[in-house]
Amino acid sequence: MKAEDVRVCVVRIEGTNCEDEMANAFEMVGAKSEKVHLKQLLGQCDPSLKRSLEDYDILAFPGGFSAGDYVRAGAIFASRIKAGIGKDIRDFVDAGKPVLGVCNGFQILVELGLLPALDGTMSEEPTAALYNNDSGRFECRPSILRNDNRSKCVFTCDIPKGELLYCPSAHGEGKLMSNIPNFVSKLEENDQVVFRYVTPDGGRATYPWNPNGSPGDIAGICNPAGNVMGMMPHPERVMTAYTMDDWTRGHRSEDGDGKRIFTSVMKYLSKK
Amino acid sequence: MTADERMTKRNAPYDLCDIRIRDASDKELEDISSALSLGLSLDEMKAVKDYFVKEGREATDVELQSLGQAWSEHCCYKSSKPVLKEFVFGIDREDVLSRGDAGVMVFDDDYGYALRVESHNHPSAIEPYGGAATGIGGIVRDVICMGAQPIGLADPLCFGYPDRKGEMPQGIKHPRYLMSGVVSGIRDYGNRIGIPTITGGFFFDESYTGNCLVNVCCLGIVKRKDLLNNFASAPGEVMILFGGRTGRDGIHGVNFASKDITATSEDDSRGAVQLGDPITKEPVIHACLELAQKHLVTGMKDLGGGGLSCVVGEMAIEKGFGADVDLEKVPLKETGLAPWEIWVSESQERMMCTCKPENVDKVMAIFDLWDIIATPVAVTTDTGRTRLFWNGEKIFDMDIEFLTGGPVYNRPYTMPKVSTKADERFPELPALSEVILKLLSDPNVASKEWAIRQYDHEVRAGTVLRPIVGKLNKGGPGDASVLMPVPGRWKGLAAAVGCNPWFTKANPYRGGMASLDEAFRNVVAVGARPNAFTDCLNFGNPEKPERLGEFREAVHGIGDFAKELNIPIPSGNVSLYNEAPGGVHILPTPMIVCCGLIDDVRKAVSADFKKTGSLLFLVGRTADEMGGSLLFRKFGGEGGEVPATDVKRLKDSSDRLLKAMDEGLVLSCHDCSDGGLAVAVAEMCISGDVGAELDLSAMDCPNDNVKLFAESTSRWIAEVDGKDVTRFTEIMGDAATPIGLTKGNALVIKGTDVEIPVEVMRAAWNDPIWNIMGGGAQ
Repeated sequence: MKAEDVRVCVVRIEGTNCEDEMANAFEMVGAKSEKVHLKQLLGQCDPSLKRSLEDYDILAFPGGFSAGDYVRAGAIFASRIKAGIGKDIRDFVDAGKPVLGVCNGFQILVELGLLPALDGTMSEEPTAALYNNDSGRFECRPSILRNDNRSKCVFTCDIPKGELLYCPSAHGEGKLMSNIPNFVSKLEENDQVVFRYVTPDGGRATYPWNPNGSPGDIAGICNPAGNVMGMMPHPERVMTAYTMDDWTRGHRSEDGDGKRIFTSVMKYLSKK
Repeated sequence: MTADERMTKRNAPYDLCDIRIRDASDKELEDISSALSLGLSLDEMKAVKDYFVKEGREATDVELQSLGQAWSEHCCYKSSKPVLKEFVFGIDREDVLSRGDAGVMVFDDDYGYALRVESHNHPSAIEPYGGAATGIGGIVRDVICMGAQPIGLADPLCFGYPDRKGEMPQGIKHPRYLMSGVVSGIRDYGNRIGIPTITGGFFFDESYTGNCLVNVCCLGIVKRKDLLNNFASAPGEVMILFGGRTGRDGIHGVNFASKDITATSEDDSRGAVQLGDPITKEPVIHACLELAQKHLVTGMKDLGGGGLSCVVGEMAIEKGFGADVDLEKVPLKETGLAPWEIWVSESQERMMCTCKPENVDKVMAIFDLWDIIATPVAVTTDTGRTRLFWNGEKIFDMDIEFLTGGPVYNRPYTMPKVSTKADERFPELPALSEVILKLLSDPNVASKEWAIRQYDHEVRAGTVLRPIVGKLNKGGPGDASVLMPVPGRWKGLAAAVGCNPWFTKANPYRGGMASLDEAFRNVVAVGARPNAFTDCLNFGNPEKPERLGEFREAVHGIGDFAKELNIPIPSGNVSLYNEAPGGVHILPTPMIVCCGLIDDVRKAVSADFKKTGSLLFLVGRTADEMGGSLLFRKFGGEGGEVPATDVKRLKDSSDRLLKAMDEGLVLSCHDCSDGGLAVAVAEMCISGDVGAELDLSAMDCPNDNVKLFAESTSRWIAEVDGKDVTRFTEIMGDAATPIGLTKGNALVIKGTDVEIPVEVMRAAWNDPIWNIMGGGAQ
C-alpha cells in the first residue's frame, strides 16, 4: 500500500501525553495519523466521534502516565481496553497489522498480554511486567540501542542487525521481568528480542547505559509474529538529528535515529 | 462588643453570618479582621466599614472574606505596585501580544509564545511535595488560559545547604528534606502532564533555611489567531467552572502568602496548602486547547489566589461588566461547606471560561469527552457588581471596582548600604588548584544531575539543547535550553534562568541588573537573541524599611537594564514577606527568566569543548569586582565592589557574538558566572572531556585572582577553530581577548602551578550533590 493510504490510530486516555509527537512521527514518514480517545473506540461518545479499529492500518500506544499509573503502569488503561475492544485488538494483530507501544505504551501491551505472548497472539493474563528501575528513580537520559532482531520484527526490517541507534529513555518503571523460566533465552530463541541497551561502542551496558537494570539489557521486544513491538526508549523524540542529545558534537544525517523505526514499518506496509 | 457578638448566624439552610460592621469601633474592626482571619489592617477595615455605611446595610461573612482575599498583598500588590510602576512598567514593543495571566510575545508570523513565572514559596516550606506540585499546576494553567499549549517548565529553587549541620530553627524543616520533596513534586506533576522541565536552577544559602523559595515558570506556544483573553467580552455570557471540585483545601492561601512564616505556620497553615492532581489537569489541557482552537469561548482564567472570589470579579470587571453567581451550583468535594468557604477556597485544578449562551452545549460536549466536570455557575451582567445567590437568595452584592481596586501603599524605605572596594577584605586562599576544585564542589556550582535526570526534559520531542550538554552520560552544565516548539519549523525558543542573590544583597541595584545580565547572556551563549523577560521578585517584609529599600533598588536596576535594551517584561510575580521565625530574612532574590529566539536551531551552540587545538577567547571585560563572589563566600572574603553592568557594552558585545555564531564560527560558548572564568572553563572541559591550556597575559587585570575568579557581568568563553580565528576577531573587535587553547586532558594555567586532570575536575563537580541526596543504581 502507498504511504499516504496508511492510517495510524494513536490511542489516548487521560494521562497519555506523548501522542502529539507519536502522531507527528508517523506523519513525517508519510502516513496519516489520528489521535483517538479510547472512548471513541468504545463508542462512549457522540456518534460523529465514534471510530472503529478496523479502519486503521497501524495502532500506536504512546507514552505517558495513563490514568496516572497509580496502580501498575499501564494496568488501568489495559483493563479498560480489554473489557471494551479486546476482540477487535486481537483481530487487528491476527491480521498482521503493526502495533507499536512506546514507554507507557509498552507497559500497556504487556498488561494486555500482547507482549511477550510467547505462545500466540494475546495471553489471558499478563506474563511479564515492567518493574521499578533499579535506581528507584525516574531516569531521563540518553540510551544507545542495538538492533538484535534477526529478521521478524516489522519495525526494524529496514535496520541492519547489530546497528546502533541513539534513543532517549524517560521512565521510572522499565525493568522487564517475567516468572517464565529462562525468559530471556526463550525470547532469543523466538527472535523476539528487538533492542538491547549497549554502551556507545556497542559493549555490554551497565548503569547508566542500561537505565533500569532490565535482565539481558532488553529495551524492546516483539511478539512471535513480529508485528507487535514494545520498547521503553522513545524513538518518536528523535525524528531529526537536532533533538538527539549530542548533535552539536557531530551527526551523520539530518534525520534522527528514531526515524528508522518508522520508515521500517512503512516499508513493511508498502509491500502489502 | 466582641467580634462574636457582632456576628449573627442567618436562619437559613446554609451556613452564613451577617456581621454588624457599620457601628464598630477601631478596636472592634481589628477584632473582626482577626476573628475571621481576614488579614486586613485597621485602615483597610475602616475603608470596608465606610463602604457598608455608604451601601446602607451590614456585611455578610462572604463579603468580608472576599475583601480579605482581594486586598491581600498576593492579589493586589499593594506594597509593590508603586515601585513596579516607577521602574519597570511601560516597556512597550509591538511584538507584545498580551500581558494577561501569562505574557505572550510574537514567535513568528503565525505563532506567539507565552511566558510567566511565579512563586510557590510558603506552601512549599510547609508541604514541599504538594506545594511544588501545585505550583506547577498553577503556572501551567496561566499559560493554558491564553489558549497556549504548554511546552516547557523551568524551576529555580532556593534552599538552605542540604548538608546543613546543627540544630534547626523551631518549626522549620531540614533543607535536604525540603529539596527532596520539592524535586519529587515537580517531577511527578511535570512528568505526568507531559510538559518537559527544560531548565531551572538551585541556589543554596543559609538564609533560605527558614524560608525556601520555589519559583515555577511555564512557557507555551499559541497560534496568534487562537490567542485567548482572560475576561468576558459582553454581558449575558455564561461562566463555566471546570476541572476539579471545590473543597476546604487551600483556604486563606493568599493571606498565608502575605505574611512571614512563623514557628507555628505548620499547624496554622497546613489547610492553606492545596492538593494537586496531574491526571485531572492533563485532560484539562486538551479540552482548553480545543476550546481555544474552535473559538468557542470568549475568555478563560485560572482559579489561583482567592479562588472564585477573585476570578469572577476579574473576568467581569475588565470590560466593566458584573456577574450573578449561583453559588450552590459549585461542585464540591465534601458537603457542608459554608458559602464563604466555597467562595474563597483555592482547591486546585479549577478554571473558569466565559462563552456565548448559544455555545454552552458545544463547550460542555468537549468537557464531557474528556470526563471533565464542568458547571455553568454564573452569567455576566451590565451592573458592575458581583452578586451571589444561594438557591435564589442573595448573600453578596458588591461593587467590583471597590472589591478589586484594593489599597496601594507608598511605604517608607531606607536606601541600602552597598558593598565597595574600600571595605574589601581579601580572603586567604589555598593553592590555586585547590581553590578551583573547591569552587567546583560548592553546591551552587556542582552538578544538579541528581534532580535534572528525574525530570523528563524532552517529552513533546522538541528539546534541542538540554540542561546537561556534552558527551552522552558524561556531560556538563548548559546555558539556555532550546526548544523547537512548532513541528516542522526550525525556529527555536531559548530559555534560561538568571539570578544573583548575593550581589543583590551587597548592592541591590547592581544585583538586579546582574540577574538580568546572567539570564540574558545564557540565552546569547546558545546563539539565541534575547526577546523577553519574566521575573519573580522574592523579597522580605515590605513593612520593614530596609527590606523595601532592597526591593526598590533591585527593581530599579531591573528596569534600567530592560529599558536600555528595550526588552519587555510582559509578565511577572512579586513574593514578599519571605522571612523565617525570628525575622531571619532571605537574600533578596530577583529570579529572572529570559526567553530568546533563534531563527534556525541547527545553528545553536552548546557549552562543551568540541575538540583539542581550538583557540579560546574571553568575550567581555573583567574588572576588580570581587564583592558577592563565590570565591569570597567560599573562603571568607568580605566587602568588595559588586559587578556593575554596562548595558551598552553588553549590547555591543552580544550583537557581535551572535553574528559570529550565525556565521558558524563558534564551536562552543559558555557564560562566566559563579566562580568566574576559572569555573566556566573547567565546566567546558568537563562537558567536552577535553583539557585546556590558559594564558591570561592578554587580560587587563590587576592580578591572577581577579582574572580567574572575578564575576564581572556580560562575559562569555568562546571556542573557535584555528581556521576561523581571523574572521572571528574581525567581528569581535576588542570585545574578545585570546586566553589560550583546548589541549590534552587537563586544565593548565600558564604562570601558575595549576594542572588538574579533567577526570579530577569532573569528580569534584559531579559528586557532591549525589553524595548528599543519595540515589543512583550503584
